[in-house]
Amino acid sequence: MAATEDRIRQLVAENLEVDGKPLSASLDLSASLSDAGVSSMDQLSFGKVVAQEFNVTLTAEDCPRFENLQQLVDYLDSQAS
Amino acid sequence: MPRAPVSEKWWGPFESSGRVDVVHVDLSPHAEREAAALALLDEEEQGRLRRFAFDGPHRRFTLCRAALRAVLCQRLGCGNEQLAFGSARHGKPFALIDTQPAPVSFNVSHSGRHGLIAIAPSGRVGVDVEERDAQRNLDLLVDTVLGDAEQAALAAAHGGARVHLFFKMWTIKEALLKAMGNGFQLDATRIAVPPPMLRGKRSGTVKTPPVSPSTWHVEDLGNREFAAAVVYESAEANAPARRN
Repeated sequence: MAATEDRIRQLVAENLEVDGKPLSASLDLSASLSDAGVSSMDQLSFGKVVAQEFNVTLTAEDCPRFENLQQLVDYLDSQAS
Repeated sequence: MPRAPVSEKWWGPFESSGRVDVVHVDLSPHAEREAAALALLDEEEQGRLRRFAFDGPHRRFTLCRAALRAVLCQRLGCGNEQLAFGSARHGKPFALIDTQPAPVSFNVSHSGRHGLIAIAPSGRVGVDVEERDAQRNLDLLVDTVLGDAEQAALAAAHGGARVHLFFKMWTIKEALLKAMGNGFQLDATRIAVPPPMLRGKRSGTVKTPPVSPSTWHVEDLGNREFAAAVVYESAEANAPARRN
């Protein structure tokens, strides 16, 4: 759903940066965060932020299952439906 | 200050033991080094570089991978053009010489201006380095990554000591997870930092049943500039002797 995607893009823009530069909200959601240069520590922190925002449980071992943000959006939509 | 000429290597010995060597890689911005490093990378590696959206990750991968190539070629007695890399199930790379698996174990980590390469003739090895960020919201990570005893140790620490302890525990856990080849596919709260290391010891051993039957040797490599740890299967290694 576009609403989930928009919220994820907003969270990316507010919470993720690489070398002090924020990731753009227009980020390609099919690209992996690792390829964007986001560290594993930042990816886990972001998972926690997403879990709080969407009121879902995302454990540390859940996060690497999502190869990119689109998969995370799809997962969140599946939890909501 | 004048830049070092590119003929100087940007990597050098950091820690060593009979079987496990740790090499430090200087990942500071340096155009000449980056150009020299880029020339060493193969087509697949250059394709990966094109996916990086920012200069920093591009530079760190280029300088670190070129240093890894040089270290492996020296150790294995092969030419750079003979060397390639495969990837295991969870992304842990391994070396190939002329498409055949090379008799070497290694692991790589980088953060900010620092890279570390751990290398051994055999056995599983993992390394992690992190520049400490005192501004990071550690509360987002504590219950996701740390077990009860580790959370209690962190709660008892304050200020800079708290930051140092968190990054020490993080690097130990990530090095362990990387050594096992799983990354954060495993529940990090169940991977316990050796208790003496919570109290300041620089090394220890840990078992990780039922994930792995191995006993792992853990070495804290942290210094004033960064937190870091190397982990290797105890049967495969001797305790490292600190060089600096």
